[in-house]
Amino acid sequence: MKMIELAFRNFKSNLKSYFSLIISLAFTIIVFFNFQNMLYSDTFKMLGEKNIGRIHTVVAVVSFVLVCFMFFFIWYSSNVFLNRRKKEIGIYIFMGFPNEKVGRLYMIETVLTGAAALGLGILTGVLTTHLFQMITLALSDIAVDIDFQLALRPVLNTVGVYLVIYLIFTLKGYLNITRSSVLGMLTGAKQNEYVRQNILVLLFKAMLGLGVLGTGFYLAVREGEGGAESQFGIVAAAIFVTAGVYMVFGGAIPFTFQEIARNKRFLYVKRRCLWINNVIFRMKKNYRTYAMVCVLSLCSVTALVAGFAMRERYDNIMKFNSTYTIQVISDRENLDADLKELIKQYTEIDYCSQIPITGLEGSVVKASENVSKYALVAYSDLKNLAADIGKEFPLKEPGEGQVVRVTHMYLLSLMTDREHRKVGIGGRDYEQIEETDISYLGYLQDQVSFYMVNDQEFAGLRTLGQKLHCYSYHIEDARAYQNVKEALYPYMEKIETGGDYIGVVSLDPESNQIYWVKVIFSLCIFVFLVFILAGGSIMFMKLYNDSFEEKERYDIMKKMGVDEETLGKSIADELGAAYGIPFAVMSIASCFSVHTLGMMMNTHLTTIHALSVLTVLAVFLVCYLLSVSVYRKNVGV
Amino acid sequence: MNDKNVVLVRNLIKDYGAKNFKTRALKGIDLAVYPNDFIAIMGPSGSGKTTLLNILSTIDKPTLGEVVLDGRDITKVSNKELSKIRRDKIGFIFQDYNLLDTMTLLDNIALPLALNGVSGKECIQRAETVSALFGLGEHLNKYPYQLSGGQKQRGAACRALITGPEILFADEPTGALDSRAGRDLLECLKNINEKKHTAILMVTHDPFCASYAKDVYILSDGLIKCKLSAGESRKEFYDRIIDVQTSMGGDFS
Repeated sequence: MKMIELAFRNFKSNLKSYFSLIISLAFTIIVFFNFQNMLYSDTFKMLGEKNIGRIHTVVAVVSFVLVCFMFFFIWYSSNVFLNRRKKEIGIYIFMGFPNEKVGRLYMIETVLTGAAALGLGILTGVLTTHLFQMITLALSDIAVDIDFQLALRPVLNTVGVYLVIYLIFTLKGYLNITRSSVLGMLTGAKQNEYVRQNILVLLFKAMLGLGVLGTGFYLAVREGEGGAESQFGIVAAAIFVTAGVYMVFGGAIPFTFQEIARNKRFLYVKRRCLWINNVIFRMKKNYRTYAMVCVLSLCSVTALVAGFAMRERYDNIMKFNSTYTIQVISDRENLDADLKELIKQYTEIDYCSQIPITGLEGSVVKASENVSKYALVAYSDLKNLAADIGKEFPLKEPGEGQVVRVTHMYLLSLMTDREHRKVGIGGRDYEQIEETDISYLGYLQDQVSFYMVNDQEFAGLRTLGQKLHCYSYHIEDARAYQNVKEALYPYMEKIETGGDYIGVVSLDPESNQIYWVKVIFSLCIFVFLVFILAGGSIMFMKLYNDSFEEKERYDIMKKMGVDEETLGKSIADELGAAYGIPFAVMSIASCFSVHTLGMMMNTHLTTIHALSVLTVLAVFLVCYLLSVSVYRKNVGV
Repeated sequence: MNDKNVVLVRNLIKDYGAKNFKTRALKGIDLAVYPNDFIAIMGPSGSGKTTLLNILSTIDKPTLGEVVLDGRDITKVSNKELSKIRRDKIGFIFQDYNLLDTMTLLDNIALPLALNGVSGKECIQRAETVSALFGLGEHLNKYPYQLSGGQKQRGAACRALITGPEILFADEPTGALDSRAGRDLLECLKNINEKKHTAILMVTHDPFCASYAKDVYILSDGLIKCKLSAGESRKEFYDRIIDVQTSMGGDFS
């Protein structure tokens, strides 16, 4: 029989056991293909070039994450596959087949499996692409008509990336077989020794892991130089947390379980003895999987929180910017009546305000923010303005040499320390005692960096810059915006020809200039779904494979007279620990990542965080119930 | 001899195979086991020894006949009740030990008690007591892979006996052991039988092993052919077993 025939026959007869591998590989292909298809679709183009340019970086990051995800998933599943085949491969070698020949047989079988997964993945990908785009856009709340589209480029990109990664691991498997001994192969699928790890080594690992994880958490929440303030701080925190999670699963958790198992009075309570010992036994082999699932679910929660926070922020920014429809800045004090009259020709005014400000050039101010225009306002003026437009005013009056920054809403900022900064105005240093992003001056606050000083300071600093007045109006009918804006031009010309200054700041209420935030939101949801499904399916696959190894043990227990109900409960407990421990570690770790995110966005994310963790819990619960059912079936309980 | 039997078997028949190709493994066995009994069942390969043991120990079900264990016919009780009988009234020793490799010897021995809801303190006490009888006191914290074959089998015997069963079933208990380890185990079983009055029913092909029993039943072609009872010395009993074995035509393996 030719090698290819034997391989094909093997593939056909083992199709049932290859099924989980094919499904999981197809899953990665579906995810990658759908993402690629969205990038090359007309839907994306309809968002407009400006929006696409803005999310370009995010798209690049998500693409990179997806390639990594595919890489690790293929790595993991091909390892599982090789381990399950090792005994059979060992028998071939034992029968006298040269290693190279068996390696080639394995390669052909693997290529057949890979091709089946690729075919299934692309086909299912094509069938689900419409649904996927609909879900993404529905989540983003972007109204675009979607046609069924299929371009060649996404197919080629997906096939290309998949083939390169898959061939790397097929080749790795081939090399592994050619270099293995018969004994290694025959015992490869079994792990029967060294159940308990050396307690001192574990203790050291536990301390080190907790130290590294603690450092990661510290870096994540630290306010100040080198912490979350810089990109370096965040990258370092991510690396430390990931490494720490791996070490915790390799040290602290097995250590805890081994200590529990040493306390026999605690251990000998009902079925505890069974499942705790099983967890210890599995931990040495599975801790990387648990850690991987934990990190994946941590990423997914962070992505979901970031997505929802961005969306909430987007809504708030829109609200912030639309505090006023038209804002006029002039060096004349008495324009209010004229402007009101002009606007009222087209629409009624909801509310309005006016305030004296001192416009400063960038050269006069030394501050950390990178803007070219600064302005000063007086404490009493701003307080009166707040009362006029019904905004809260929680700010205290700055003392001498102190300022309060009146800023706009950030989508995301790496600056987390917003107090006690030094601001140089006219050669004198002022201490920034507070910062507010309440919209007193609307869109103008987004364009100009405002500082509030006390009334005496304001009067003293008036000479440093241009004495201006800001007149702000919110119109009742948003559709009248264009007419009002056009009517303002002749009025402005009239004033400017008289030698006075006037400027108009306005924001079209129907503008879509930050549409891209909505796309980022849907990308975050996408990343969340990919990570959480990946985490859930990796754990499911691992437990599915473990169940075959456990069958023998459950047969022994049945012979001993342990009833099926007890065995079923023990399985539920053990699998509960397998899902529960990564979930618990993730829940704790996510508090820190979400805290950092909250600092970067200057907002509280507790509710969103709780909801995201609950969403992960729901996904895990479904996977857990499926795992318990499949596991019980496989071990015959 | 106590009148109350531990196991009573009446006209036990077991068929294997499909409707038109049935093979009768047991052709009508009658047997009664009383407390204090130490019975060895011998016979040539295919004589039905393991089938009989599997049915008596509730692992398999008979085609016809009655098996009364703890006063109840086990062919008519539910699976749940069967599990309970298996857990509380019966102990097993298998040829390949069947210790769980995920836990220490102490955990293995204490497991049946813990699952029965006995307190942790009592589990430890009873495991230590029974393991001392089998000379395993020093090895309780070791894992099965750290123990010799004999230690593993003695550990399995401890696990089987910790719940205080009325009868201990043993399937080729010395089959995987060297002669010394086999002898140690049999001495321990004999000791338990004499001191604790636990009935033992053991299937073996080894005449030396069988000579530790009080009675030896020779099974052939699905029927009990003869019964040998121990006499003055074990040596003499061993010789008689060998004689019967020879007269029946060779090796019981």
